[in-house]
Amino acid sequence: MTRNIKLNRRTFLSTSVAATGMALAAPHVARAAGYPEGNINVFIPTREGGGADRNFRAFSSIWKTKLGTDFEPGFYPGASGRVGYEIYMGKAEPDAYNLIFGNMGPEVLNWAVQAPSFDVNDYLYFGRVDTDPGALFVGAESKLQTLDDIISEGKKRKLNVGTSRMAHPASIGLLALGEVTGAQFNLIPLSGGKNTVAGAVTGEVDFSVLTSGSLIAAGDSVKTLLVFGENRVGERLDNAPSMNDAFGTDLPEMLSSRAFGIHKKAVDDHPDRFEILQRTFKEAFEDPGLLDAYVASKGTPEYLNYGGIEECAAFKEAMLELGAKYKPLLTGA
Amino acid sequence: MDASTILLEVFLSTISYWYVIIPTIFLGLIVGGVPGFSAANTIIILMPLTLAMDLEMGLVFMVTLYCAARMGAGIPAILVNIPGTAGAAATPLDGYPMSKQGKGQQALAISFVSSSLGGLLTTIVALLTMPILARVGFYMHSVEMIVVMLFGISLIASIAAQDMLKGLIAGFLGLMIGSIGTDVVYATPRGTFGFLELYDGVPLIPALVGLFAVSEAFIIIEKKVIVNKSEDGTTPTANWHDTFEGVRISLKRWWHIMWTSLIGLVIGVIPGAGASIASFVAYQQSRSFSKTPEKYGTGHPEGLIAPEAANNGVTSGTLVPLLVLGIPGGATAAIMLVVMQFHGVSFGPSLFESQPEIGYGMFMAMAVAYLLMVLTILPLSRYMSHVTTIPTIYLAPMIISFTLVGGFVPREYMFDMYLALGFGVLGYIARRTGYHVAAILIGVILGPLLETYFLRALKKSDGDITVLFSSTLGNILWVALAASLILPIVMDMRRKKQGVPAE
Amino acid sequence: MAKDDRQSVRQIGGELVIPVLGVLFTIYFFSTIWNSPWTAQVSTFLVGSILLFTCGLFFLRCFMLLRSGEANLGFGTLFTREDLSTGRYGLLATTVGYCVLIETFGFTLTTFAFLFLSMVILSKARRIVFTAMISAIMALGGWAVFIWAFDTRFPRGIFENFMETVLG
Repeated sequence: MTRNIKLNRRTFLSTSVAATGMALAAPHVARAAGYPEGNINVFIPTREGGGADRNFRAFSSIWKTKLGTDFEPGFYPGASGRVGYEIYMGKAEPDAYNLIFGNMGPEVLNWAVQAPSFDVNDYLYFGRVDTDPGALFVGAESKLQTLDDIISEGKKRKLNVGTSRMAHPASIGLLALGEVTGAQFNLIPLSGGKNTVAGAVTGEVDFSVLTSGSLIAAGDSVKTLLVFGENRVGERLDNAPSMNDAFGTDLPEMLSSRAFGIHKKAVDDHPDRFEILQRTFKEAFEDPGLLDAYVASKGTPEYLNYGGIEECAAFKEAMLELGAKYKPLLTGA
Repeated sequence: MDASTILLEVFLSTISYWYVIIPTIFLGLIVGGVPGFSAANTIIILMPLTLAMDLEMGLVFMVTLYCAARMGAGIPAILVNIPGTAGAAATPLDGYPMSKQGKGQQALAISFVSSSLGGLLTTIVALLTMPILARVGFYMHSVEMIVVMLFGISLIASIAAQDMLKGLIAGFLGLMIGSIGTDVVYATPRGTFGFLELYDGVPLIPALVGLFAVSEAFIIIEKKVIVNKSEDGTTPTANWHDTFEGVRISLKRWWHIMWTSLIGLVIGVIPGAGASIASFVAYQQSRSFSKTPEKYGTGHPEGLIAPEAANNGVTSGTLVPLLVLGIPGGATAAIMLVVMQFHGVSFGPSLFESQPEIGYGMFMAMAVAYLLMVLTILPLSRYMSHVTTIPTIYLAPMIISFTLVGGFVPREYMFDMYLALGFGVLGYIARRTGYHVAAILIGVILGPLLETYFLRALKKSDGDITVLFSSTLGNILWVALAASLILPIVMDMRRKKQGVPAE
Repeated sequence: MAKDDRQSVRQIGGELVIPVLGVLFTIYFFSTIWNSPWTAQVSTFLVGSILLFTCGLFFLRCFMLLRSGEANLGFGTLFTREDLSTGRYGLLATTVGYCVLIETFGFTLTTFAFLFLSMVILSKARRIVFTAMISAIMALGGWAVFIWAFDTRFPRGIFENFMETVLG
């Protein structure tokens, strides 16, 4: 592979430093010296071997050195993550020994579209690891090769657009594009990133939208035309412009965002333990080894993006709002 | 360097990994045989090991494991009616009746030979026609796939021939059970009884092992051993002759192996389609063109050759879109993609220019694996077939615990174990009261796939049903489907007219 | 399959179980999609209606058979006295017990108990020592493969925890 990983470490560090706040200010609580006494269970509501798995392993390899204990991942896929949240994390002891490593993008969006059986405030995200913007792409052999092709064709006929599932930030990005340009789009859920790429490449759909991390992995079989957020990787997404730059819009980034979450009750009952988790999480982010771990696991280190409780809460809120706004289009109701 | 020099070099370097290939074959046979494990899961579990190997060795390891697991899945399917993966679901239809007749060893030999030959042949065909084959996915879209699925589903009608009404009830009940889960467009939950575990549909392995194996375990306890006693009251025992007989039977039907494995290859090339579709379609086609369709389901060698050759054809097929387009054709190929990317290989149109030894290497590894597999496994068929002579009082509980455990493995949810038990009870009732479990199973496996393609086509056309007849290739397939359903009936009527007995 | 040739009257009670289940399930299924978008309904309404139709035909056929006296509502094909003597119900009970108790007692011990009890029931308590040995071998083999080697998430109990401490 001829990908050269160019990351401006200063940008990277400044983002993480800028996003600090309460974690630094919080005083160290000596009472919690006994924590953690054992391994921390991490519930991952997706399949083993996927992006979350890789991401988790890279991040936890650094975090465990700060926390002084191991993380034990368990994979609980199903129902767009709801099995992991509702059945397994939901039944786990709220004692700060059980965390969830979820995706605040599609998973939270899904809650907005289909109310879960739990209160969305039962869990609290406290550690954002990365943000990965959605993108629009065509197959390498597609007739539509530029954004203009797509817009003008979309004004003539309704274009079929592949997406991994309806309730996905990238789908919302596309709906917004349709609103801005007047082009007609028909979202076709192709269940999963792999099929979404395949759909665009083989011509099952006219083009597709997906999180950009998966597109980078798809290599030269696809061509990215637009990013629903900032293009932080340049050439690896074919230098595609951001939505806001290309159309002068003022839209939020349509992000997938992996983050660690905890039971709200654990935060209330064990503030000391929670403080340790937050502090060490942040330390892990400041460790230069994290970057190496990401590069080694072939992740996209440019997408590493520290966020604490406040950033996560804002993100979750924004996602719930977006979901509520587009609910009729995403549920067919 | 021209292609033949590369091929020779690649062959030599692949064969030099024999010390990886042979142990991996055995590992593959075991994980393939344990319900729920599968090559993809094993590669994930062994990921740290795979990543630690150098690229070439890792490649040989993964490809061998993939082929061997596919072959291994046939063993319990034939001997004790436990298909360990959805790809082997059509194997017991004729394989298990053969075992019951004391021909387990022969059936294994047939399965091994047709798997290996089918795999080997399709590997070579894939290698030669890769650029063309890779285009198949560009023409087989949702509309065309609907027809392909219907080929497989039409098996329900053939299976139902004895008592059409009961067969259809079983098949449509299966389709209905297969509809459980969220709809593929708007993700509305349907018929889930409130279980989140069912939102993604009925998990296949618990359904498979429950309907086939658990229910069978409750049936076989009536007999002392699985094998039916022959007329003189003795139990047929295995000997070497049976293995050779199996090899002879399969080699005599080399043409059958060829064309059914090619069905597998073509279906395997289509991203998203897989071994379960291929084996049912191959079985259905084999039956349609057979002169003795009534023998299918009773232990007919061709009924075993077709699905086994086809599901190994899929194995080579899934590599084609991976190598040529960078799109994995199935779950195992997707995992391979991850591992290869870790080693810095970028798949896609440029692969054969930049790193031809990788592209050719994968096919070569597959060819070598199949060659070595015949040599290593065939002699074992004699010993494996002894399973059928274990007294059922020991075998039945073992089958039950083995399969319930297998139901648990893929997702690791206790729920799935209960589900396997539930399907076992359903299968038992069906068997005792004359409903075909195979018909239920075809519905459960193919139903959700058919619905996915159907809804996708409808959504693309904004609900216009005529979309089903909107493509030329699709229409050709519709005609072929109609022909393959009507022709056997016509041929049968003609035979009867000519006074030739149907037997 | 147990067939009763002494009676020429066909017992169709058992045969009705699957269609009745099918009808009940279809009605339940329809109730869950009544207010759903068309994508959730179109194919299931089609399949479900055919299932209801074929079940209806079957009920009609059964009704005719019953009226003509060729059949009765007996459950002879599904339940027989042999099922008790062959240990089939015993095996069913141990199987259900296996699924229920495995969460409490862990994989290895429950598997052993299930295999041992089932084999004892089926063999009518012959060769108990031999049975215990195979059950133990199978259960330990299962532990070695599923828990020790592949580290799957099977319920852990006393045995598994003990082995974990022993193996460090």
